[in-house]
Amino acid sequence: MTNKNETVIALLGQPNSGKSTLFNGLTGLKQRVGNWPGKTVEKKEGFFSKNGRDYMVVDLPGSYSLSANSDEEVITRDYITSGKADVVCILADASQLERSLYMLADYAGIDVPCFLVLNMKDVAEEQGKTIDAQAIEGKLGIPAILFSATDLKEYGTFYSALEKAVDQKTLLKAPDLAAKLKLAENEEGTNKLIKSGEAKFAWIDDVIRGAVTSKTQKVSLGKLDRIYTHPFWGKPAVVGTIILGLILSFIPALPLMGVGSLVGMIPAPLEEALLNMGCPAFLAAFMTDVVIRSIGFIVQMLGFVFGVTLVFGLLEEVGVMARISYVFDNTMAKLGLQGKSVMPFLVSFGCTMGGAAGSRVIDNWGQKVLTIALAWAVPCGAAWAIIPMLSTVFFGAWMPVIIIAILLVMILHMWLTAKVFSPGLVKKEDRIGMIMELPPYHKPKWGALFRYVFGRTKDTFFRVIKVVLLVASVFWLLSYSFDGGDVTGSILYKIGSAIEPVTKIFGMSWQTFMAFIASSLGKEGAIGVLTTIFTGSGGLSINTLMNGMRPENLNEILTSNIAKPEALALIFAMTFNMPCIVALAATYQETHSAKWTARIAIYYTLTALVIAGIAYRVGLLIW
Amino acid sequence: MIKLSEVQEGKKGVIAELKGENRFVGRAVSIGLTPGCNVEVIKNRKNRPILVYSRDTMIALNSKESENILVEEV
Repeated sequence: MTNKNETVIALLGQPNSGKSTLFNGLTGLKQRVGNWPGKTVEKKEGFFSKNGRDYMVVDLPGSYSLSANSDEEVITRDYITSGKADVVCILADASQLERSLYMLADYAGIDVPCFLVLNMKDVAEEQGKTIDAQAIEGKLGIPAILFSATDLKEYGTFYSALEKAVDQKTLLKAPDLAAKLKLAENEEGTNKLIKSGEAKFAWIDDVIRGAVTSKTQKVSLGKLDRIYTHPFWGKPAVVGTIILGLILSFIPALPLMGVGSLVGMIPAPLEEALLNMGCPAFLAAFMTDVVIRSIGFIVQMLGFVFGVTLVFGLLEEVGVMARISYVFDNTMAKLGLQGKSVMPFLVSFGCTMGGAAGSRVIDNWGQKVLTIALAWAVPCGAAWAIIPMLSTVFFGAWMPVIIIAILLVMILHMWLTAKVFSPGLVKKEDRIGMIMELPPYHKPKWGALFRYVFGRTKDTFFRVIKVVLLVASVFWLLSYSFDGGDVTGSILYKIGSAIEPVTKIFGMSWQTFMAFIASSLGKEGAIGVLTTIFTGSGGLSINTLMNGMRPENLNEILTSNIAKPEALALIFAMTFNMPCIVALAATYQETHSAKWTARIAIYYTLTALVIAGIAYRVGLLIW
Repeated sequence: MIKLSEVQEGKKGVIAELKGENRFVGRAVSIGLTPGCNVEVIKNRKNRPILVYSRDTMIALNSKESENILVEEV
């Protein structure tokens, strides 16, 4: 019981047992995510009430057993034996009971009340299996239900089993197994593991005998799997799938992008209206420039996040993600990551915020953060809109060479960044014993999927907007021309010109440096800043910082004011800088660690400057 | 007895022995790969994890580590 009189339920189950679906189904949006103290493992808690009782659900890390081999297993074991949970809900995949009941077997001897949920009954049915939950309940002495976490209508059986377990404090009855396990303790090293494993599987066979019938199936890889596991076609097939997914993500994205740009049209007339009502200029500008524009910016991106979460959530549920993981595991392992990480990297070519959203499929928090940290190095859609254009303006036909150079630097950057960030995030030992399951493909449950996607997108909007408003406000204050004049009246200019000797080392004058800073908000902003500065037309506003106006004679303005080496420095600095303010906010939202988000942001800003400095010197050599 | 990594695609076997460290053996056991259990090799290509079917589950194993699993071919 918590001090708020909530009954504590712990969810225990192997990966792919549908634990997250159950967790989401029970708690909806009433969740909070953090990390287990001192560990790089996510802790999820949620709340719900039923029949007059309040419950707190703790989603224990997915692990294959309760041994003490990995952080996940240690945390799970410690939590259960600590007695903090009033009842433990043990999940098993009903279509693979021979194996999935292992967690239950591991639980033998623990005297915390529990009940068994044989989840994914729809998959078992599809495979022609019949399961007699009552018989199993009889053998075990704990409530056992056949269940499908994606079907909200079924939850009545869950709540009944839950209440029974809580009220009767049902304990798992497995005296023979407990005795055999005690015997196995006398063995040494791996023999102990093997002997106890054998005892557990023998016990499982006993439990399911007579209660489970199945049609014998011929095992073969389906057509799709034959393509994915093909030695040559596998990787292109995966990349193709992801790119297709990316394109499909744009469909739900477009209407929201439309709404977002409509919001972008509000500020100008609104500002006028406010001023006419006698609102002070400062406040009017803040309201329209920062608040409304930020909302507009976010709404535009949100559509894409919705699309990515939907498409890749679908791929995960159907089972395609596991294949992607399999195909790219060897490649990603070189970066300390798992195969699934290839997906956020590819998505980040479109939008880094999508990449961050996509990294949700990575169940290991440390690898998730590392994936996002590396994904920042991938030039996103905004970069592809700006950088080739800039390169052409300054370097004409050399543009393709610059793009290739950028891609090469990107690969080097990712490799280096992996070296820098892995020690703190991923343990080498976690990769040993890398054994993955390829679950059978199954039809998605659209209702559960959409509920999940809407929930996450709404969550994203509220979290991201806080960060964006904060950062945008800071930038706005720094760039506002308090004397009503041009750029030189802003704090940002004063700082920029003061540290110009330093920025020159990196190849940038105060003007291009300010453009670089603006690109932290959004790449387009750099253009707007340069235009404003070089045409002396008034002060900076969030408009210029985020949307970047393009005057007719942009080419002339740029080439007449910036020398080639400096331009090269700026191009590289912008490409490898923080992707944009929304990516920053999304990273914070996904990692829920201000510490790591800040580290990644500072690292990227500094390395962007270093890269710029190198590009500058290369430029000097050439021109 | 041969190493699992040497079993050809389409062949079946029974696991005879598990070698290696605690971490690997622990994981293998918890996913159902125990002495006496049936395995069928579905895919075994160089530079890719090896795919086996065992206890109703399709499992992908690191090919280097699957050298630690010794099987009797059937």
